[in-house]
Amino acid sequence: MTACAPKTGAPIFPATVSTIQQYPTHEIMSRRGVGLGAFANRTQATQSYATHGANLRSTHLASLQTQLSVFQSLLHTFALEHSSTIKSNPTFRAEFARMCNTIGVDPLAASNIKGKNGRRGLGEGGSFWTQILGGDMNDFYFEVAVRVVELCRETRSENGGLIGVEECRKQVGRGKAIGSGLEVSADDVLRAVRSLEPLGSGFSIVNVGSKQYIRSIPKELNTDQATVLDVIQMLGFVSVSMLRLNLNWEKARAQTVIDDLVADGLVWVDAQGPEKEYWSPQNLLNDT
Amino acid sequence: MATPEPAPASTPFTFPSTYNFPPFFTPQPNSNTRQAQLEKWSSLIQSWCKHHRQYKLSLVEAIDTPLFHNATLRKRLDLREARAVIDWMAKSEAEGGGGRRAEWIDAASTGNQVAWIWWRRPEEWADIVGDWVDGTGQRGAVLTVYELLEGDATVSQEFHGMDAEAMRKALNVLVKRGKAQVFGEEGQEGVKFF
Repeated sequence: MTACAPKTGAPIFPATVSTIQQYPTHEIMSRRGVGLGAFANRTQATQSYATHGANLRSTHLASLQTQLSVFQSLLHTFALEHSSTIKSNPTFRAEFARMCNTIGVDPLAASNIKGKNGRRGLGEGGSFWTQILGGDMNDFYFEVAVRVVELCRETRSENGGLIGVEECRKQVGRGKAIGSGLEVSADDVLRAVRSLEPLGSGFSIVNVGSKQYIRSIPKELNTDQATVLDVIQMLGFVSVSMLRLNLNWEKARAQTVIDDLVADGLVWVDAQGPEKEYWSPQNLLNDT
Repeated sequence: MATPEPAPASTPFTFPSTYNFPPFFTPQPNSNTRQAQLEKWSSLIQSWCKHHRQYKLSLVEAIDTPLFHNATLRKRLDLREARAVIDWMAKSEAEGGGGRRAEWIDAASTGNQVAWIWWRRPEEWADIVGDWVDGTGQRGAVLTVYELLEGDATVSQEFHGMDAEAMRKALNVLVKRGKAQVFGEEGQEGVKFF
């Protein structure tokens, strides 16, 4: 026995057998790299690591799959149990949607599948979500989306196609017909707007400062315009001299940005003060 | 005013939030924005007149009332602008106006100073009167216009106490529709419903 038997897997070196008593075990182990046998030994070790790794992976995968299916069935039960709450309570719905998002399930995307293989009979063709919520989940978001689109179109001439998500939420929640009030959260509105994306409708979410807006006209705001809108958000209104003072802009620059905003209908002019003031029409909504 | 209406002063008029938006009182340079602004003015003027049961609006008189003058903001709509709003209201929607919600009264003599504000169009008044006639089974009945406006039978009706001239316009609509006939001399007309 000049080399260790590869099949046993336990590397014992004959050369050291006589000295075994003299060395503690770890000393022996640390010396296993010595000698020709080490080469074969190393390949063997790598192999055994690899198999061990594969084993681990497959057990992990199996356990993850079990976890996922357990989780899905729990989510299923949860959604079934709370489906009415999900539909009626905006906070709850937002949290539920957030939870789904965290684990990479998009209620909207999932329920869109219904369109492809749906109609074949309820229950079998539908997606996970339509099975759980009977298609109400996407119907709900589409309902919100329709209202958002209506609102954006109606108010386009007054706000130039830029409407605050919060203002939109209030208005959509109120509904026009009697009894059509719909409790929605900002999250619902955002989701609804995103659900419009596949239609290429040009509706998008724009961040100006800390505020989110729905842009219903596919036109970009340049940095200066966004800055001015942000200032209006904070101060209520702006004037050319305010912009020059606060942002150190040249008069021409300030005037150009403002003129552009006026031309796009994004701000209204008040010419009855000593200097023209420019206001955002975002608060006008609540009286229609 | 033709009829000194006792304004229902019990509830103060609630202005829309637009009224507290300073640029509302300045004509907007952007045409789309301007359109939105005119629509808002039109609906404000209509609801103001409706609240005060006012059928005619004299601009010279109204220009200093809270309708056109926001004392808190110290903003006002000047006479020329107010006239522009009424002009727009007087046009039909096809002409890009406000759907004939206003009508200048005898522009030549008053010089665009006084206008009907049709918070209900004469056609709409005609519908209301017609429905009332049908609902109370008075087809074929003869009533005086005074009875219609001031009679006990119409107290619950929206047209009770309305401007006599406005009522006459509404009745004329019914006449054109073949649903009524007006007779008698001015001030003492009677009307027969079919």
